[in-house]
Amino acid sequence: MADVKGYNMPDDLYYHKDHAWARVDGTKVTVGMNDFFQKEAGDIVFIDLPDTEEEVSQGEVCGKIQSRKWIGKLVAPISGEIIETNEAIEDDTSLVNSDPYDKGWILAIEASNLDEELGSLMKGDALVAFIEAEVKRAEEEKAKAK
Amino acid sequence: MRLEPCTLHPFPCTVYPEPCTIFQTMTHWRLFRNTSRSVSTAEGLAVDDTLPQSVATHGSPPILHLYTFVPSVIVGKYQDIESALKLDRCKARGIEYNRRSTGGGTVIMGPEIIALGLGINVDWPGLERGGVGGVFESLSRVFIRALDALGVPSQFQPKNDIQVSGKKIAGLSAAAETGKSLLFHTSFLVDFDVELMTDIMNTPLVKLSDKGYNCFSQRMTTVREEIGKKIPVETAMDAIRKGFEAEFGIQFKEDEPDAWEKESIQAFIRDRYTKPGWIFSHKHPRSRMGVGRIKTRGGLLEIYLSLSGGSIENVVITGDFFSTTQDINRIENALKWASAREESIGEKLSQVWREDMIYGVDVPTLTRAILLAKENQVRL
Repeated sequence: MADVKGYNMPDDLYYHKDHAWARVDGTKVTVGMNDFFQKEAGDIVFIDLPDTEEEVSQGEVCGKIQSRKWIGKLVAPISGEIIETNEAIEDDTSLVNSDPYDKGWILAIEASNLDEELGSLMKGDALVAFIEAEVKRAEEEKAKAK
Repeated sequence: MRLEPCTLHPFPCTVYPEPCTIFQTMTHWRLFRNTSRSVSTAEGLAVDDTLPQSVATHGSPPILHLYTFVPSVIVGKYQDIESALKLDRCKARGIEYNRRSTGGGTVIMGPEIIALGLGINVDWPGLERGGVGGVFESLSRVFIRALDALGVPSQFQPKNDIQVSGKKIAGLSAAAETGKSLLFHTSFLVDFDVELMTDIMNTPLVKLSDKGYNCFSQRMTTVREEIGKKIPVETAMDAIRKGFEAEFGIQFKEDEPDAWEKESIQAFIRDRYTKPGWIFSHKHPRSRMGVGRIKTRGGLLEIYLSLSGGSIENVVITGDFFSTTQDINRIENALKWASAREESIGEKLSQVWREDMIYGVDVPTLTRAILLAKENQVRL
């Protein structure tokens, strides 16, 4: 487990710039939203999940996530076919907040171009730099708003 | 209007006929302002949905749409409309109902309530990007300026409301749309028909209607109520326009949808806002309402709770205890859209709680009353 500026960002995951995480197991990729996202968004109240067997491309919007009155996008971190969605979060969306990397997973993709696309996701130092920049930007904006 | 690319524009500009410096000087936004008539829900919402599309793919600068609806009621994108509304009463009274594409709860609209749609790119200078709350906050400053100009001092109530002395006067909702574009919706209460709300909405507040309209007047207010006289809706629209211009350092150019935008509007009307598949989508098998009553050291505590899935859609705290309208509204607002799990309720209450906020009641007692309301819930 890695702590980046107070955000839990597990080392074994890959991260997309739109804050989705990807856990790779062979060609199956489990997807959720990272700790930075869930803390910034606040209470998740609804998740609009895609259908299974739907094909998605890396970077494509494949679902919507509502926190209070804001509807944001769930972006596919990897291309492939959606093979599973987490029914538990349809009943209890707070799992995305309370357990974003385990019970709060959102969907699973059977990847179609994994080796090539993993290279465009972040890990390690690149992830730390990205999160630090996001935190800095958020702090600057919040300071400006005061 | 002639449509041609703008050579100085970072995006292909199809809006202004001459080579312009709009994005360089950041001075001009477009304003679609409709004061000639109140529009149908399908028309108004279709124009709004076109705004972020035009910003993202049609090269338009931000567009503000100011208008009013015919008497109507509009639910949030993911609400269960059959749980939220008494549709038979809507039909009997000729009240239109529809579903918008942004989040949040049910809003009553009509000729005395200003509807606002804004399409803007998330990277627009001046739009706070410090998370979702930051974006709402930067928009809220526009309405605080507008209300101030109308002689009504107001505050931002994180994350989504503008309040006057603890009472809601405007609410904001939003959705991330094509590319980096955003759509914002706001309802701005110039005047409001409480009786209509009581008759057509299934909110916990309606359960209290036998106790009079006091519960509404303690939680909501209008421009007319605050300044004590009637003002034209156009005057309030002018104040909002000036609020945007001052907050973002821009000027509006009055405009109307171009041919591409008109086509998009017609498509949204045809394919979305007149389709039962859209209007009646998102039925929640777990939309429920319940009441929890317990006797406390401070008096009787009554909680009216409505849930959508696992989230608190609305909560009303009442009883014969001692507290203030502002404190009760602060507590209710903290709970709205939070998870209905015990630990989440306790956490949200603790974030706003201070001693004797409700005299003789503490966080564990209030949590217990809310959980009792949850236990007593029945299907709507």
